[in-house]
Amino acid sequence: MEALSIQIKVNGHSHRLQTFPNRRLLDILREDLTLTGTKEGCGIGECGACTVLVDGEAVNACLILAPQVDGREILTIEGLSERGSLHPLQQAFIDHFAFQCGFCTPGMLMAAKALLDVNPSPSREEIRQGLAGVLCRCTGYIQIFEAVEDAAQALLETAVSGIEGTAGAAIAQRTEEAR
Amino acid sequence: MTAPFRTIGQPVGKIDGVELVTGRARYTADLQFPGSLQAVARRAGVAAGLLRHLNVEEARRSPGVVLVLTPADLPGPNLIGILPPFDQPLLAGPEIRHEGDSLALVVAETQEEAEAAASRIVAEIEPFIPLLDPEEALHADARKIHANGNLTFAKQLLKGDVEAGFAQAEVIVEDTYRTSVQDHAYLEPEAVLAVPESDGRLTVYASCQSPFHLRGHIAVNTGLPASRVKVVQPFVGGSFGGKDDAVTEMGSLAGAAALKLGRPVRIVHSRRDSFLGSHARHAAIIHLKTGAMRDGTIIARQAEILLDGGAYASESPFVVMKALIHVAGPYKIPHLRVDCRAVYTNKRQAGAMRGFGVPQVTFASESQIDALARKLGLDRWELRRHNALTVGEANATSQVFHESVGLVQTLERVKEEGDWPACLKRAHAGDNPRFKRGVGLAAMMQGISNGAEGIDVVGASVQVSQDGSVLVGLGLTELGQGSRTAMAQIAAEILGVSLEKISVRQVDTDTVHDSGPTVASRTTTVGGKAVWMAAQTVRTSLLEMAGLMLKAPAEAIELGLDHAYLRENPQAQIPLAQVATAAYWTGFPLMNLAFSRAPDAQYDHETHQGQIYIAYNYGTHLMEVEVDTWTGKVRVLRHLASHDVGKAINPLGVEGQVEGASLMGLGFAHLEEVLEENGKIRNANFADYQIPSFAERLPTRFLPVEEATSNGPFGAKGIGEPPLAGAAAAFTNAVSDALGISFRRLPITPQRILEALEG
Ligand code: FES
Ligand code: FES
Repeated sequence: MEALSIQIKVNGHSHRLQTFPNRRLLDILREDLTLTGTKEGCGIGECGACTVLVDGEAVNACLILAPQVDGREILTIEGLSERGSLHPLQQAFIDHFAFQCGFCTPGMLMAAKALLDVNPSPSREEIRQGLAGVLCRCTGYIQIFEAVEDAAQALLETAVSGIEGTAGAAIAQRTEEAR
Repeated sequence: MTAPFRTIGQPVGKIDGVELVTGRARYTADLQFPGSLQAVARRAGVAAGLLRHLNVEEARRSPGVVLVLTPADLPGPNLIGILPPFDQPLLAGPEIRHEGDSLALVVAETQEEAEAAASRIVAEIEPFIPLLDPEEALHADARKIHANGNLTFAKQLLKGDVEAGFAQAEVIVEDTYRTSVQDHAYLEPEAVLAVPESDGRLTVYASCQSPFHLRGHIAVNTGLPASRVKVVQPFVGGSFGGKDDAVTEMGSLAGAAALKLGRPVRIVHSRRDSFLGSHARHAAIIHLKTGAMRDGTIIARQAEILLDGGAYASESPFVVMKALIHVAGPYKIPHLRVDCRAVYTNKRQAGAMRGFGVPQVTFASESQIDALARKLGLDRWELRRHNALTVGEANATSQVFHESVGLVQTLERVKEEGDWPACLKRAHAGDNPRFKRGVGLAAMMQGISNGAEGIDVVGASVQVSQDGSVLVGLGLTELGQGSRTAMAQIAAEILGVSLEKISVRQVDTDTVHDSGPTVASRTTTVGGKAVWMAAQTVRTSLLEMAGLMLKAPAEAIELGLDHAYLRENPQAQIPLAQVATAAYWTGFPLMNLAFSRAPDAQYDHETHQGQIYIAYNYGTHLMEVEVDTWTGKVRVLRHLASHDVGKAINPLGVEGQVEGASLMGLGFAHLEEVLEENGKIRNANFADYQIPSFAERLPTRFLPVEEATSNGPFGAKGIGEPPLAGAAAAFTNAVSDALGISFRRLPITPQRILEALEG
């Protein structure tokens, strides 16, 4: 098989990699870049343990091949916390005991981030749908659910406090009504 | 301890939380060692037969291959197991006993190369007709899967006089119940990494739950003394009883290869390998008969339990005992006779899985209690309450507890919070031709500690540094259940240290005492007691030193908020770091190793009458469901789970265990079944084997009952396993109630519901 050269940006860092067209994004991350936070649970797109964001969209890294990520921007669990401080989702997961073994957690957090990025105040049904692709065998999902709801609220509050005057108040009011 | 608890009973997040949410926590497959090789086993692919010839020549010549390990290359006995005589070969042959038997191990530079080479191994197998039905396997003329025949293990429980009991009974109910094979389906498949060290020792990193068990088997099978083998347990992605035999096999093979090659060797199971090459929950056939008086008093019960153990014994003997002891349920029944057997078949072996025989027998028992209520025209809750075990009464093994029997409290809580009369009214009120509603109850109990399974000793160490920080070591493992956090809370409470100052080490067999397996919901109870004891001695040092510094007797000192202070005058205080430093320079010991030993089980081995477990967890579950009779889909509208946990060390952790175990119980009762055809698994992947997803999550509400036991730290009893059985049985009874059909086989899948409706 012929080697392939791709250019990707992972967690803000650019990489030029020599790889093969049949190599999965999951292997590139875990083996070539030693970003082992992304997990493999099934290898066939069923468990979501390998969920990462490609150009902001949640995808299963076990189903994507090297040529498909050429020129794209990837965010993994290692890039979720910014400048050493935890993302509100990460903090909420800790506060709510939203993991036990933690193996599903990176994928779960990335799926939750993708959801909240496009839909900052999701309904319960939207959370359910947004996270449906990630399996957890330990928790029973209840604490994960609560953590995501809580983080959404925290994110909104920080967003609102950054907006002056009536616009901020209007958003706050809307969220209040949505609950 | 007179002061109110500071950490015990407080909801705290996991102490290893930051590592887990940032991706920094390393699981076995994440570890990187230079020069690591990858290995893959070639499996038999045939359920039963005789291996005539194994040709590995082409595989040896395959690109990237450095070694093909065959039985002849193994320095040891090539056998593993839980109880002697061990019966499971690492590399099988000539007899093939199930399709997942490993025949050879291919070691190559990359995973792809190892897989490609493994497929080039040619195995000439003369096939046998596989023995798949456990009842057939017991026939006198059945082919013998092992030299000693197909009966793996058999035990009997006898209490009172069961014939006399049935003669007295005014009503009798009798039925046969069946359960299917459930896979552990932890998200992290099994993995090991064996690293030969420069001093001649071998380190094996393993996703496992019983590191000392691994160490012993790896030593024997690689020909090293046990003291030259070190097993380290990195973060583990779930185990639920499963990461035992399979990982022992993988660790022994990887170890043998690594020693031969002088390079690290890694084996990471694919999901398919995990289905084929690990063990699962025993499928069961349970014949059950119960006799009662007209007023509902249960007087006699007889059970014959047959467990399908698959190709090897694994934990079958212990699962036999647990099923045997628990089939009576949490009721006072004077006359009992139980026969429980495990049998070999040509299927993947069954072993330990969360619940350990209890979910199977609880489903049967609780279904029959409902059948009895129907026959007697009695309320289902009342019937359970009427027969419920209480303090001072003899259980199935005639053991009498004088404390910590909270069954009735769990029944009461569920009745009150659930408003049982309203549930009954609601149950069929909204029925229409398509949707039917029903409500189900289940009461259960589950023994805590190894009990009849053998001696129960746990070692723990507690060490305080001069800066007042604490290091805790324990011989039992963190599998996700939150035990590190609970152990940290116990040490924090006793030493008056804040939780942030406590570290709980990963298990490494070099540094902790052999504490047996992390099973039987015993970590919090027996393990926590060891930490409690180790911390007490260090506490004494700190109290005495602080007494010298504050010029007061040690008895007048209290520890808290990282300080030592006078109980009567808290203003007189010294930071704990100063006390610890002074204690060090004065020569007080700041480290201690303690062993907690659960009271030994004492019972008659013929009848299983006597003292077996150190405590029981009791529980009651209630579920309301709505069944769609067009699709067979079931929606759980409400789920209450009440358990007597003795003392919840960390309420958040306990809730997580109850919710997670309950959902696994829903999987067992409704969704999950390993399907096999001619001894080959048909659904060895997550597309075809469905575990509950976000969509199926239960609306579980946990109602704690805390009846403390003096055998656990601060009164705590384990909770990791029991809710699984409770939720499964309540689900079954709810669906049966909704449709007016008694389901006697699990799982009750939508498909089976539709079939039952068609009659
Ligand atoms: S590993 Fe990618 S979805 Fe399971
Ligand atoms: S926490 Fe273990 S799989 Fe989710």
